[in-house]
Amino acid sequence: MPTPSSLLALIGVACGAFALTNAASAQSKPVTIPVLVPLTGFLSLEGTSQRNGADLALREVADDSVRYDVSDTATSPEVAVNALERAMTGDNVVAVVAPMLGTQMLALVPLADEFKVPLVTVSGTAKITELGSPNVYRFFPGDVVVKQAHARYAVEELGIKKPAVVFQTTAYGQSGRVELTRNLQALGSPPVIEEAIDVSVKDMLPVLSKVRAAGADALLLHLHAGSTALVIKQARAAGINLPIIAGSAMHQPQTAALLEPSELAGVCAESGSSPISGGNPKIDDFAKRYRAAFDSEPDAFALGQYDAVRMILAAVNAGARTPDAIRQALANNSHDGLAMRYRSDGKGNMAHDAVIICYDGAGRTPNIVKRYENVTGAR
Amino acid sequence: MFAAQLALNALALGAAYALVAIGFVLVLNATTAVNFGHGDTVVAGGFLAVALATLMPGELAVPGLVLLPAILALMALFGALMSWLVYLPIRDRPPVTTFITTIAFGIIIANGVNALFGGAPRSAPTLIGGGGFSAGELFLSRQSVAIVGVSAVLIAGLALLLNRTQLGRQLRACAQDPEMAQAVGIHLTRMTVITFALAAALAGAAGLLLANQFFVTPSDGGVLMLKAYIAVTIGGWGSLRGAVAGALLIAAFEVAVASQISQPVAEGLLYVTLFIVLFFRPQGLFGEPVGQRA
Amino acid sequence: MNYRAGTVPLLAIIAVAIAAYAVLFASSYDLRVLTVSGIYVILVLGYQFIFGHAGALSLAQGAFFGMGAYVTGILGSQLGWQFTATFPLSILVPALLAATIALPVLRLESHYFALATLALDQGLLLIAINWEAVTGGANGLPGVPGIVIFDFAVPRGLALLAFVWALAAGAAALAWWVMHGLYGLSFTVMRETPLAAGALGIDRAALRFVAFVLSAAYGGAAGALFVHTIRVISPEVLGFAIMVTVLTMTVAGGRTQIVGAIIGAVLLIHLPEWFRGLEQYYLVAVGVALLLVILFAPDGAAAYLGRRTVKSQNNPQPNITPPDLCPARTSGLKITGLVKNYGGVRALAGVDLNVAPGEIVGLIGPNGSGKTTLANLLTGLDRPDSGCIILRDKDITGLPAHRIARLGIGRTFQTPQLAPSLHLVDAVAAAHAGDGDVDLATARADARAILAGLGLTTRADQLCRNQPHGVRRSVDLAAALARRPSVIVLDEPAAGLTQDEATTLAAVLRTYAANGAAVLVIDHDMTFLLPLAQRLVCLDAGHVIAQGVPDEVVGEPAVIAAYFGAAVTTP
Repeated sequence: MPTPSSLLALIGVACGAFALTNAASAQSKPVTIPVLVPLTGFLSLEGTSQRNGADLALREVADDSVRYDVSDTATSPEVAVNALERAMTGDNVVAVVAPMLGTQMLALVPLADEFKVPLVTVSGTAKITELGSPNVYRFFPGDVVVKQAHARYAVEELGIKKPAVVFQTTAYGQSGRVELTRNLQALGSPPVIEEAIDVSVKDMLPVLSKVRAAGADALLLHLHAGSTALVIKQARAAGINLPIIAGSAMHQPQTAALLEPSELAGVCAESGSSPISGGNPKIDDFAKRYRAAFDSEPDAFALGQYDAVRMILAAVNAGARTPDAIRQALANNSHDGLAMRYRSDGKGNMAHDAVIICYDGAGRTPNIVKRYENVTGAR
Repeated sequence: MFAAQLALNALALGAAYALVAIGFVLVLNATTAVNFGHGDTVVAGGFLAVALATLMPGELAVPGLVLLPAILALMALFGALMSWLVYLPIRDRPPVTTFITTIAFGIIIANGVNALFGGAPRSAPTLIGGGGFSAGELFLSRQSVAIVGVSAVLIAGLALLLNRTQLGRQLRACAQDPEMAQAVGIHLTRMTVITFALAAALAGAAGLLLANQFFVTPSDGGVLMLKAYIAVTIGGWGSLRGAVAGALLIAAFEVAVASQISQPVAEGLLYVTLFIVLFFRPQGLFGEPVGQRA
Repeated sequence: MNYRAGTVPLLAIIAVAIAAYAVLFASSYDLRVLTVSGIYVILVLGYQFIFGHAGALSLAQGAFFGMGAYVTGILGSQLGWQFTATFPLSILVPALLAATIALPVLRLESHYFALATLALDQGLLLIAINWEAVTGGANGLPGVPGIVIFDFAVPRGLALLAFVWALAAGAAALAWWVMHGLYGLSFTVMRETPLAAGALGIDRAALRFVAFVLSAAYGGAAGALFVHTIRVISPEVLGFAIMVTVLTMTVAGGRTQIVGAIIGAVLLIHLPEWFRGLEQYYLVAVGVALLLVILFAPDGAAAYLGRRTVKSQNNPQPNITPPDLCPARTSGLKITGLVKNYGGVRALAGVDLNVAPGEIVGLIGPNGSGKTTLANLLTGLDRPDSGCIILRDKDITGLPAHRIARLGIGRTFQTPQLAPSLHLVDAVAAAHAGDGDVDLATARADARAILAGLGLTTRADQLCRNQPHGVRRSVDLAAALARRPSVIVLDEPAAGLTQDEATTLAAVLRTYAANGAAVLVIDHDMTFLLPLAQRLVCLDAGHVIAQGVPDEVVGEPAVIAAYFGAAVTTP
């Protein structure tokens, strides 16, 4: 829904004024930002990154003007909905850090609309910003963005003609696959084979044998961390040395830790950012603080969630003390985060840049080889 | 040639599943109850291997085989503890009660591991080093060979223990007729604890074997449990030999169908096949040696 | 069942407590959790049919739940159908699925049944995930409407809570209605003593079928309500986690009691919420709590509540006149050429045997001669390889046990088969369960009368599990007689009885035979048999080696030879 920027600015000014007047009355009252993320179940790795990113940002608030508490949403919509209901019983909840699991977001959005509270997340699932809700804000490039970068890098940079797509039978996998395949078709290199695998699958050789039989010239993965590493490890062990362009799970340091540097040679991946790749002093500083706080390596989900909470805090500092005011700020302001510049496209998609990282075969720290900025032209 | 490669991989996976299934049957025979926490016990073994490997001084690349005795011993203790917690207090109750206590125990293991180690997949050291041997297009990884070898040795060792030793005869007597065994002076409680210890030790070994080539995550337990359950049912309830055969059959079936059709179809067909097997042979493919147990 | 009448006030107290809490104290979050608890009450009530009453470890309850959820989810979100249309379908579709798969699945026993039902659940999950065009795949489908009944939309919060709990109450009332009478008793007998069930004319397969289909219908209803509450449909509704939750609720609360379903559901839905603040450790806490509940209350919480109320029930019995027991119809039994092999062993090698109405025939023979095999073939516990069994001119060879029992053959067992959890009067009353036209009160009155005739008036309200051997035998016999069989087969009825008990037994059998029944007594005990039987038949290695007047048969050389090494009479 393209909106003339002048109109947007006008609304922004109006709302800013509203926020200011509103802030005067609520100034003294602390605001609450509940953090609802999956800490158990198959998405606990990513969910923990999300928690850590939000936590790091919230710790930076010196006074007690902002409160937060963390709840696990596990992997079912029911638990997430209960968690949101519970969180909303808190005092002056102005925004909620919401789980990155698409299925849970689909359940939370209608509820957030009833509560009129904005949700910020790093979920990539395309559908969550297509529900017409004014309360969803996504601080990680969605499938529409990253899968375009994914496909373009494979086709335009590597000259791939016959890609094989392997995707996971989860919400993440199925919705990303649709975008990836669509982009590959648009670029004139439709997949020669598309294979679905469950997260519990350990033996990837059957899938790899089908990929081989199909005569693919590259392996495009859209899988969670464990499956990504298993495919790469077993492909290399079986002597399948096709270029591999993986989904964002491969940028996570915990995924790279499962593989030998030699196995990582020729492996690239899409992501929203890569905080451990270095080169940007602000991100390096973030990585340093992250390591000190959590004794683990930061990933793009942590950074995205950090940026999201920073944007909310910026609005709070600017006087926004109600869910309405925060929503207005998220919808209309732009925010220069560490990973990128965030601005809503009118549907709540805040992140429009993607990066491609590659491993050089010598270490487990990837290099950013390509940036795709403002991919959908929405910013 | 790739077919041979597939078969080798399936054999390695099937061998590890067999260890899982055997531990499952041991407890089943001793208690007539399904140990639903068995898959999570395997996960505990895998993470124990990960933890032990990082404890080794100076990140020495200790081969997993060196860790195996420690894992067997520690997991045996773990199994004994498990029997005290989940079985002995409710041994007089219907078997389904044990079903629930072991589910609860599995929840504790899986989420305890998740809280301690994080949700990321982890990798344990290889058994005897990486790399392997090439023969034309066929690649035989050391790890696959070692998995099959270690599984075979452990299974053979268990068979020797059960068939050739006094302890083994006592264990089998308890499994076949607990009342009679008690009447002839066998200490039933002790035998039960030993059975749980043996089962957990084997599960731990399976965890170590799986955790390099196939990684280990805290949520792996459920699927392992399901595979063991199916293997034991197809093989014939209560039969050790059947459990091994069932595990290998499942692995072979999955690889064959997944490489010809697709993985989701392989999984679906496994359930359909299970239905068909149960329909025509309700006692499993290889009969039921110890009689029906409720 | 009046033994559980004590739980009715308890149910009322629970209902008032929940209502007061919901109206006075609950936040919208509390209301949601309580609403979900109500949905699980329905799910657990359904599961109690198959798992509790029928005693079969089904792992398909989650599958039925998920199926009901998907029916409502897909029709509601994609076609915009309303509750009034989708709710009945959500009940019907899982019930039909259950009825369809019942044939291959219900014949499986114990763990095979469990695995087959688990496979069903996993198969449906696989379809839900991978059939993206219809189910929305792993993402699921958003936009499931709320509950709208003829243009009235039930709002979230208190109204939805009241609606769900009203349905739960209805589900509970239906469950009570199904199980409160003789029909419920027949489930207890079938579950605890499957052998006796057949002999009492109880059709085990039919009961399991009904329980399975009912569990599916309840599961579907719960799934539909669940998806209306969560407003999205996704594969998690088919996940094994839901099955585990239901199973745990049922064991922790109680397997057959309605109050148990409520306690289990409310407790286990709230448990994780209480520990939620522990972040990633909270599921560890849930696991520990669960383990403690099972270790300290392995029979379920309801059992502890019920126990106290039973003790207070010991009203003195009025004087009861024992009935003049007559067989419903008189008929003889005619057996010709009966053959049965077990593997390579010939248990029966062509046995011919007749028992006339009014006649008491004693069947003797050394151990392993085929006596119990004959009893099992006569009563349908096993099928003969060849030969004929004729009852009242009708060939009953190979019919299932309950059919044979209904046609008029009764039996007792070598080891008395009594459901341990039943009171004596109910164990006997259950014999009328297969009749259909008898109500519980009538059946109990008859049972008390028969028990009185056997001198058991004072024990009628005690539990079977605590009875001495002699009493157990008498109750077993009472149950068999309650059916007024025209033929009665007794397998070692005098073993382990005191002299007095044996005398009473002999008198009862004589009277019953005099009233026109054909009586076949299998026994070793010659001091019991010789004065009782009018004719003696001796089996050896599956052959009839002698028959005739008792004193003569005992003296025959073949009989003495058959018993060589074994005492002809037991002291």
